[in-house]
Amino acid sequence: MERCLTELETRPQDSQQLVAEIFRAVHTIKGTTGFLGFSRLEKLAHAGEHLLGSLRDGRLPVTEELISGLLRLLDGLRAILNLIEATGSEGNRAGDEDSALIAELAKLNGEDAPAHHAEKVAPVVSIKAGEEALPADMPEGGNAATSTQQNSASANGDKTLRIDVEVLNRMMNLVGELVLTRNQMLQSGVESSSFPELARRLDSVTADLRETVMQARMQPVGNLFGKFPRMVRDLARTCGREVRIEFSGQETGLDKSLLEAIKDPLTHAVRNAVDHGIESPADRVLAGKSAEGCLRLRAFHQGGSVVIEVADDGGGIAIERVLAKAVERGLVSPEQAREMTEREALQLIFLPGFSTAAAVTTVSGRGVGMDVVRANVEKVGGSVELESKVGVGTTLRLRVPLTLAIVPALVVRSGGQSFALPQTALVELVYITARDKEKVVERVGASEVYRLRERLLPTVWLDRLLGLNTEAEAHGFYMAVLEAEGCRYGLVVDDLLAPEEIVVKPLSAVLREIGLFSGATVLGNGTLALILDIAATAARAGVKPVMEEQEDETVELRQNGASFLVFEDRARERTALPLGVVERIETVPMSRIEYVGGRALLQYRGELLQLRDDGGVLDEMCGLQDQEATVTVLICGDPQAKSTRMGVVVRKVLDVSDGSMLEQDAAHGETDLALVNERLTTVFRGFAGGAGKSWRDVA
Amino acid sequence: MKIVGQGSEQVQEEAESASLCSMFAGEETFGIDTGKIREVLGKRELERVPMAPGFVAGVVPYRGDVLTTVNFRALLGLPGSTEIGCVLVLDDDSGGQERFGLLVDGVGGVVTVRRNALEANPCTLDARCKWLFNGAYKMEGSLLIQLDPQKLLPSRLAESEMFRDNRAGEAL
Repeated sequence: MERCLTELETRPQDSQQLVAEIFRAVHTIKGTTGFLGFSRLEKLAHAGEHLLGSLRDGRLPVTEELISGLLRLLDGLRAILNLIEATGSEGNRAGDEDSALIAELAKLNGEDAPAHHAEKVAPVVSIKAGEEALPADMPEGGNAATSTQQNSASANGDKTLRIDVEVLNRMMNLVGELVLTRNQMLQSGVESSSFPELARRLDSVTADLRETVMQARMQPVGNLFGKFPRMVRDLARTCGREVRIEFSGQETGLDKSLLEAIKDPLTHAVRNAVDHGIESPADRVLAGKSAEGCLRLRAFHQGGSVVIEVADDGGGIAIERVLAKAVERGLVSPEQAREMTEREALQLIFLPGFSTAAAVTTVSGRGVGMDVVRANVEKVGGSVELESKVGVGTTLRLRVPLTLAIVPALVVRSGGQSFALPQTALVELVYITARDKEKVVERVGASEVYRLRERLLPTVWLDRLLGLNTEAEAHGFYMAVLEAEGCRYGLVVDDLLAPEEIVVKPLSAVLREIGLFSGATVLGNGTLALILDIAATAARAGVKPVMEEQEDETVELRQNGASFLVFEDRARERTALPLGVVERIETVPMSRIEYVGGRALLQYRGELLQLRDDGGVLDEMCGLQDQEATVTVLICGDPQAKSTRMGVVVRKVLDVSDGSMLEQDAAHGETDLALVNERLTTVFRGFAGGAGKSWRDVA
Repeated sequence: MKIVGQGSEQVQEEAESASLCSMFAGEETFGIDTGKIREVLGKRELERVPMAPGFVAGVVPYRGDVLTTVNFRALLGLPGSTEIGCVLVLDDDSGGQERFGLLVDGVGGVVTVRRNALEANPCTLDARCKWLFNGAYKMEGSLLIQLDPQKLLPSRLAESEMFRDNRAGEAL
């Protein structure tokens, strides 16, 4: 059924086979239902088959009305099928339902009969008549009665999942392996010499199992796209547009729960594109475009997340109109509006209560729009981007993480309790020593701010916000700079624990009501930690979204030059790494660094990192014979290619500064130089400029 | 009315008897139908939840879920105990949709009682306790107060205004 519907949508190609295929599908339904004794369904299917028969034989031209009629026939069939699915019978108990069916049958016959005899005069009229009869009857009869059933059936659908048997078998194997390992562990006991080996096996089995389960949860995005052709077609007809829809990347996998989560935002985006984006055929022709608009849905992977793009080739968003509307709605002042850049103005669309539609239509324009889209996508840890060119079109990008169930997070302590902060919201960490505390945290009225690179950052004390017992702050504290829903603030915590990949567990309704925690998780040491909802915490602390211009500044800075992390590896020499490639700075005890074949390696979060030690720091430290000794390692990775990470051993981290690359001097072809803070600095080879390429050579 | 194993034959018919798990809070003894208890976790450290209603003692991990745990002492209006309490896992009647924990001072054993020995709450009982208690069984030497897990559901406690405001452990 599903397929024949979508097949039908591709009708413009008008191929014989399609009609034949639909005919076969309906015929099969008819045959099967007749066999099973669902007489009502059989009658309906028979009517459809009859109509399709004449269509197949070319006695009937393919018209829009006819297709609409067929679509409704399929809806009718589906409604009955859903009813059967839900109740086990076709539910011919309701008299009005039957009357709806009869009306439909009559309509289809009416459509059919003139098609047989006279193509010359009657068809259009009678089809019209039939069509009008149907919408009048359907809502009161069939639809009303079956809508509840349909709801329950679709709810059922959400709870079931189709899994490749192959994947299921693999899962079963792994579970078997898990049981065996457990048995061995129980038998051998903790003291046994084989225990570490068993623990390692358990680790690998768990990792495999996790991956397999994740894989099983992955659903192709195409499942979601599948319903759009029909929707776009109906919409286009209501709005008087001509729209062609194109897909790519349907096979891109996405976690099922995420697929559910982005369903509504995506539907909204598609609806917007058809109603606001694509112009009416007349306008399009005037603008020198083809009358038929094109809507493109693309899904693809990009840097650990899935991007879903809705692009139309419509009129684009007129910045002046956006600004005018924003001023009219009182969202910005006229002065502000005048100073806004194009990009800032586009962001206004995401504000609540904004709609540029000239007229409120039934389809859209009621002002509940892009803000809901953005909120929904951000709720699952994603983001929304908008790009638009007047006269050329608009592109909306939804970026969502691959999976929801496991998120990387930073575990912090405050007031004697552990909390998890999702890494996606974490911008940077600042350590403030007890001595500096008075100096760096300044007051503006009653609120405290921190001066971060000459910008004032609102400061929120987690322990005070939550009403926890504050411990004596003899030691220094950490500030996590967080950003969510446009709010940027510093969250002060007592201590940082390890970064962990946490499994999100939902909280009960009573605790959800507090509104500050998005869930809880069990940490590696077996204790629980609450997951802090970054945006809600900001709201509770009264942090307002910052104006976008501040963000632009940083973006510009990054474009003009680049930010560098400056460190010392060889004695007295300053070396820099582009900040983008540095994932984190770790202090590692010497005992954790292992050597294989003369190369230094570090086990880091389940990954083997090669260490580069140009300054000979490791040798020097080894010479000291100090068991407690630690070295500083920069964990670097090309953001585009996650797998190729490496560690850089440094003597001392000096600073983070902006600088610019100097032009490569032919004479010093080997080294790249950069001017950072007006001082000459060597740029670490392997990550300079063209990033990962040379590193891969090293590997 | 007897401890199991001592004279259960005296309790003649299944329908007439009920087995309760006894537990202690403050000076009194309470009982919950064993069928409603999924597991007794024993003494557990709870992770407190800041800003939670007063009757929530914290959260506890249980078989891959995070259970909200109700502090029974707080419900009774008793001051917080310095000792670590026992956590019971209770099932909701509607198919385990809302499983939750109950924090009490200690857990006794299984007690079989005769249903008809249940006495209704005395009319002098204050409103909170009247709402919480289902009546009391007359035991030898003491009373066993029956509790209804349904009424201890965190969501229902949150709905009833009686337990809203008092912060954990603070007596009225």
